[in-house]
Parts: sequence; C-alpha cells; structure tokens
Amino acid sequence: MSGAALIRLRGVDKRYQQGELAVEVLKGIDLDIAAGEFVALLGPSGSGKSTLMHILGLLDRPSSGSYYLAGEDVASHDDDRLSELRNRAIGFIFQTFYLVPYLSALENVVLPGLYGPESGRHLRQRAEELLVQVGLSERLDFRPSQLSGGQQQRVAIARALLCSPQVLLADEPTGQLDSNTSAEIMELLAGIHRRGHTVILVTHDHATAAFAQRRIVLNDGCIVLA
Amino acid sequence: MMAASSWLKRLRAIVRIVRMALYALRAYRLRSAFVIAAIALGIASLTIIIASIDGAERKADEIMEMFGPDAAFVIGGATNTRAVGWRGLTLTYADVRRIRAELPGAYLTVPMRAKSNITLRYRDRSVEVPILVGSTEGYADAWNWPLVEGRDFSTDDVDRGAKVTLLADAPALALFGESSPLGETVFINDVPMQVIGRLAYRGMPSMGASIDDRLVIPITTLTQRYNMDRKYVRALRVKFRDPENMAFHTENLRALLRDQHRLDTGEDDDFTVLTAEEILKFITMFKGGLVAFLGITAAVAILVGGFVLANLFYLSVSERRSEIGLKKALGAKNRAIMLQFLAEAVALTLIGALFGMALGMGIGQFLDRLGLLQILFSWKIFFHSLLASGAIGIVFGLKPARQAAALPPVEALKGV
Repeated sequence: MSGAALIRLRGVDKRYQQGELAVEVLKGIDLDIAAGEFVALLGPSGSGKSTLMHILGLLDRPSSGSYYLAGEDVASHDDDRLSELRNRAIGFIFQTFYLVPYLSALENVVLPGLYGPESGRHLRQRAEELLVQVGLSERLDFRPSQLSGGQQQRVAIARALLCSPQVLLADEPTGQLDSNTSAEIMELLAGIHRRGHTVILVTHDHATAAFAQRRIVLNDGCIVLA
Repeated sequence: MMAASSWLKRLRAIVRIVRMALYALRAYRLRSAFVIAAIALGIASLTIIIASIDGAERKADEIMEMFGPDAAFVIGGATNTRAVGWRGLTLTYADVRRIRAELPGAYLTVPMRAKSNITLRYRDRSVEVPILVGSTEGYADAWNWPLVEGRDFSTDDVDRGAKVTLLADAPALALFGESSPLGETVFINDVPMQVIGRLAYRGMPSMGASIDDRLVIPITTLTQRYNMDRKYVRALRVKFRDPENMAFHTENLRALLRDQHRLDTGEDDDFTVLTAEEILKFITMFKGGLVAFLGITAAVAILVGGFVLANLFYLSVSERRSEIGLKKALGAKNRAIMLQFLAEAVALTLIGALFGMALGMGIGQFLDRLGLLQILFSWKIFFHSLLASGAIGIVFGLKPARQAAALPPVEALKGV
C-alpha cells in the first residue's frame, strides 16, 4: 500500500430526479481501495451498492464528488474516454454472465480486445490461455447455450481478464448458480486475487463475502462499515 | 509512421466491427431474411425501371436509324369515314405518280402493299413467312436496307410483273443457310419466283414478328399473281433531299395528298404521315409514362423496404439492449455500436440489392420475352442499385443505430 490508493472516492453523491422528487442514492461516499485488495461490497437491496458498483466501473458518473482511478480524475471524463478506460482498466463479471449468444466461448473472450489496440492473433492466443486457466480448454468453440451456468461464468471471468485490467468488478457473480458451483467460482476469483489482481465483489450474501479480505457495508446510500 | 499506423488501427477496428455485424446477421437469420426480401423487392423494381428505360432508349435509336432522318412514311387510312376492311386503302398509284412528278425535294417514292401469312417453298422444304411485301425499284434504298448480295428490282421487273423476289434474312437462312440463294427458284404460295437478292440482317422485332422475316416482290407481281385490286397501295415511303427541311417537306407532302384526295378544309386527313421526329415524340411519351409508372412503383417499394428495415432494427435494438450494454461495458465507444448497427443495415440492404437485381433481371427477361418491354441490362443498373440500397441502409438504419449508440450502459445492462 504505497502512497496513493488505486481507487479513491471523495464525497461522491448520486442523485436521480424522479419527477418532482430527487432521490439521493449515494450520499457523500469516501472510499479507498488499494491495488491487490479483495473487497466485498455488501448491503441490502436498495442500499446503493449497485449504483456504487456502476460508478466504480465507470458505467456511470457521480452527481458530485471526485473519483481518482490510479491517480487519474475520471469523474468528468466524456463517454469516449470512459469507454477507453473501461476497456483497459476494468474487467466486469455479471450475475447473468452476459455472453453474446451468437459468438463461441473463444470469441466471447476475445470481444473486449476487439475494441482495443492489440492484434487479433495475440488476442486469440491470450484468450485460449485464459480459457485453459479457467478450466475450459475443451470448450473453446462452444456457444453459450451449450455451456452450463458455471461454465458460462468461467467464460465471463476469462473475458474480464483479457485486457489485464487493474480492477476486476464482480457483480453478484454467483447469484444464478447452485452452491457447489458458487464455491468453485469463488475459489477461482480468490485464485485470481492471489495472483495479484484487485477484485471488488458486490454481493448481498455473507457466505460469498467471506472469500474477501475486507468488507464494505452500505446502507441507505452511506458506508456503515469500511 | 505514427499517422500511418493509427490509420491502420482505425481500419482494423472498422473491419472487426463489420465482421461482428455479419456474425449478428447470421445469428438473427429470420429477421435478416425479412429485411433482405423487403429490400430485394424495391431493388427489383428499380432494376426493371432502369433496364426498360434503357431498352426504350436503344429501341428509339434503332428505329431512328432504320427510319432515317430524311424520310417520311405515309400510311393510308381514314378510320372515321370508311367501311371496315377498306379503311387502310386510301393511297393510290395516282398519288405515287403525282408525288414523283410534283413534290419538291422528294427523290425517291416507293409504294408498298403486303400480303400476310404466306408459305415459302424451296425444293422439299417450306417455311411460313408472316409477310410478303410488294414494292417497286428502290425498296432497299428507301428503307436504308442494304443487300448483302444480288440486286434490287429494276423498272423493267416492276413494269412486267416479273416473278422475282428479294429474301430477307430469316427466310433466306431457313431455306438456304449460309449458301447463296441467288438464281434459285422458290415457290411463294405455289407461284415460282426467282431469287435476285438477299437483304441484310436487321435484327429488330416490330410488332411481335421479326422485321427480317419477310419476302419482297414487285408490287405489280403481287397484285397480278395473288388477285389483289390494282388501284390502291397500303403505304408510301418518300425520301427527301435536305433532311434539315423535313418539317417543310412533310407539310408539302400532306398538302399535295389532301389536294389529290380532294379533301376540303376542315376534313380530316385520310392518311398519316410518319417521320423520325414523329416516332421519336411517341417514344419519348412512352418513356415518360414508363418512368412515371415504374418510378412510382419503385419508389414505393423502396420506401416500404426502408420502413421494414427501420422497424426491424428498432426491434433489434430494444431486443439486444443487453448486448449493447455489455459491449459498452467492455469498452465499445458509442460510434463502435453505431457502426455495428449501421454495418448490419447496409450489409442487409446490399445483399437485398443483389437478390433484387437477380429478381429484376429475371422478371425483365420474362417481360422482354413476352414482348411487353425491351430490357437492356448494364453496369449502370448494378451501380445504381448498390448505391440506392446502400443509401436505404444508411438513411433508415441511422436512427435505430443512433438510438443504440446513445443508450447509457447502465440502462442497457438493466434491460434484460
């Protein structure tokens, strides 16, 4: 933990206008996450943890406050710069996997690379390596519909790792999986963390959160435990 | 060096997105097929319209060339005042003699009569020929129709009612093939005639039958041997010097014939004078009608195709929200999303254009064969169709593509 944190939020608010009513979803969030941490973001539904995840993942901007990602103030970047930054700095893992149904496992893993600068051959090679790492060496050419839920999430994890992101954001990654498969997926994420990746896990499930080193609990738009 | 490599990277990004668009089209086959079909119908009508306009234009050129800018064609006929069967017969030999003697500028006047559906026999072979023309010396010249061998009629042939004939290309080919028919005796409805010349191939369909499918004999022979009246002729061909004065020549010819036929002022002509100009006017009118009719059809068909495209793409964008959201989360910029949807739209319309051209050409050939339209296919059609379809893809695909690109990633990801 040398000096500046990888992620630093200061006074982050998020408000939505619902007709006449302004709904404040996040209220003055201050948060530091260092490189290499494995953090669980916990909270009941409606606590604002999804919104916080979207802001951390650069999918959304705070209404006010500042967000430094690796020292760079990203709170006011435009859409294009956010896209570029998401492409190389953030890896997403979603509850419902979000694989493109008409692409094979390998093509799904290559997908984020297609929006970046690397050559196709290099990307395919790396995608193959990652699919081997997550234990799908036999399924490279399978369509998502031919894979089980656990296998689909492994493809999604390989995809999240393709561009060697600084932060891995996992949003309820086991929400759609049975308990055995969930444990496997969490082991996989823990292994990725041990290899030096920063992992932020969003969940409402304390058993899943137990894999993380640090817990941040959100309630009603405020951090109640950091 | 820097600039070149960034340019290359941009090109690579575009190629990747277009490839992704093609994958998506394959994945959503049914929807793609609908768009392709809708566009294909529009492009098919566009193909037919351009082909038929070009066809009409070429036909006009051919007719002009055959008709000649220096000639008038007079057809007898008073449709209002005469009994059926005699309507066509208003021109007489007396008219011919008077034109030859008095009409200024006219240097060749050739009368014509015809008998239809005759049998031509040579040795043991016979063919049906749709038309037997009776004319005089100068027939070939009058129609700018060269003889490939032999000679035209002489004055003597016509005076004597000689049993001689000119074969046009079709009967000559049918009976003699490539060998010369000169001097051979053929039987025209059992009357023996000697072949003295062969007309060159003209290759133009006129009213269904080929213009090359005919025989020509002296007009005197026609009336004597086939028992036709000896007073009237069916049509006249008059050639003039100074084609720049055609309007003047035509007016003189008309005045002379009216005087000869003793028509009072206010009475209608009992003949029709056709000139190249006249024919061109008719063709232009026909072409205008064609453009209006087919043009509206094509425009409507293309518009319908465009709306089908836009509709299905709106549907596609809302159905594929999560795909759009995911791609944005993975780092796709707004313009990459827009490019993918535009590429899908344009790829579909281009494929539709290819099918449409094939369909249009098929229908065109069919109409051509039925003799309804003359059709001329060209690269022009190919490029026009591709251009039109590309434009449809961009114009009607742009709005849905923009909508897709503008979806905020969070919204798009929620929309499952």
